[in-house]
Amino acid sequence: MKAVVLIAVSFVREQRWPILVMLLWVLLLAFLGLTTEAARQGEDLLFVFKQVAVYVVAFSVFFGSSAIYNDRRSRRILSVLAKAVSRELYLSGLVLGITIASAIYCFALGLTGSWTLGEAGFPIRQVWFLMLCLLAACSLAGTLALMFSTFLNPFFAAGATAAVMGLPFMLSYTSGNPKWGLAVPVYALAAAVLRSSFDSPFSGSWLPIFLAVIETLVFWFIAARIFSYIDIAVSVE
Amino acid sequence: MQPALEFQGVTKEYKSLFGRRFCALDNFSLQVEPHEIFGFLGPNGAGKTTAIHLAMGFMRPTSGSGRLLGNPFGHAATRRRVGFLPENVALYPRRADHLVRFYGAINGMKTSALKKRASETLELVGLSDQARGSVSRFSRGMLQRVGLAQALVNDPELLILDEPTSALDPLARVGVRELLLKAREDGKTIFLSSHLLSEIELLCDRVAVLHRGHLVELGKTSELLQSNERIEITARGIDASLLNGAVAVNGIVSIAIPRSQQRPTITRIWDAGGEIISVVPQRRSLEEIFLEVTSSSGKERITH
Repeated sequence: MKAVVLIAVSFVREQRWPILVMLLWVLLLAFLGLTTEAARQGEDLLFVFKQVAVYVVAFSVFFGSSAIYNDRRSRRILSVLAKAVSRELYLSGLVLGITIASAIYCFALGLTGSWTLGEAGFPIRQVWFLMLCLLAACSLAGTLALMFSTFLNPFFAAGATAAVMGLPFMLSYTSGNPKWGLAVPVYALAAAVLRSSFDSPFSGSWLPIFLAVIETLVFWFIAARIFSYIDIAVSVE
Repeated sequence: MQPALEFQGVTKEYKSLFGRRFCALDNFSLQVEPHEIFGFLGPNGAGKTTAIHLAMGFMRPTSGSGRLLGNPFGHAATRRRVGFLPENVALYPRRADHLVRFYGAINGMKTSALKKRASETLELVGLSDQARGSVSRFSRGMLQRVGLAQALVNDPELLILDEPTSALDPLARVGVRELLLKAREDGKTIFLSSHLLSEIELLCDRVAVLHRGHLVELGKTSELLQSNERIEITARGIDASLLNGAVAVNGIVSIAIPRSQQRPTITRIWDAGGEIISVVPQRRSLEEIFLEVTSSSGKERITH
């Protein structure tokens, strides 16, 4: 477990610049809340909040699709896996790292959202529930991307992840059955954020979050099985 | 006593995207005994690094199997007892002491012991003054020394070192050599891959030469360096011109001849009234052996 945490912290440390860039969006929201009339125009502020919130799902896909590739290209992976670290543990560290990186963003956005949207009358409890939805979506999306990146390059891994995330949405849209959206509930969770409004009462469902956690574990397991067959010392370029 | 490292008929083939196959190791078998320094030689592309990566579990053999400290290749917990230095050291850009502690910690070392051990290993590799410096600003030689420190931090039973001194200056090389000899005295096993033949000659108890994926030479270093085919005869009381190719220094005549010529040459010296001082097998350099076995067809010449 200690190795998992250390690999996760190491990952976050390596990704500190992208995380800081992500946090600039949160600063933008804080700036809007502080300096413009938006504080009194709640709907506009909520619109910016929703936009800024869903970016983190895309970031988690990029984190997940490039994590193994970066370590293999730089050959840093050899020094890590030369220790008593199994490939399952290594992937666990990366999944935890992606989750921590997303959690940093969600926490900062939750704080800023609670303050700015709270001022405009939006229920604070709902903000934190939406952040939890977002975090679950990020963990699942990141793990899915990580799974594809065990055998695809980052570009194709990100594309495959987008396809798998988008397929349930397409099915639910074409069939008219919203339950399809829960098959890989990244879109369902992001939609919970995008559909939130001042008018609708708080109706948070825990089912997509629960499913996302379960599927994160399933995709981690599949990723570990695939990764155990990969020759990691072979050049990725 | 079980071998520290063992390859049993290991074959490793690489496949390109278009299905082309390249055999890096072909039915490779080798045993490294505990407490020895084992030299692993071969020209570029011979398969040395592939063999090391298989042993470390970075890749799977196409066929065959192997054991590392008694457990199959790829067994993660066994690697707790192994120190590995890759050929091209690549480390996270952090402070050297933090980095060594990081690698010790992911190997399951306790935090209480780690700080002291990290300082000790950095001192062992001559980097105690730069311990607080970021490795991103280190030279290649310094990086290699940090790499060696992280390999040593867990006090491993088996050290697998791929070109450990290739980027070091002569002074640092001597330091590493002493460090490895001390490690053997402490009962550790060292598997050393290097192109520096003089170093292998000085350090290793046994040597294997790999060529195009095949083991072409294996034996004790001392025995390999003794040529069975040529001998050197030293005599006095004769004129050097008596023997074709002989050299005289201060009245001592010496000549290197094929073993088949030993008896007639000695008879000739005696007939001329000379006195034989010594008849010894001629000592070859490892470089000569290396060039000989790698330029030949690759037929195995295993003595031990």
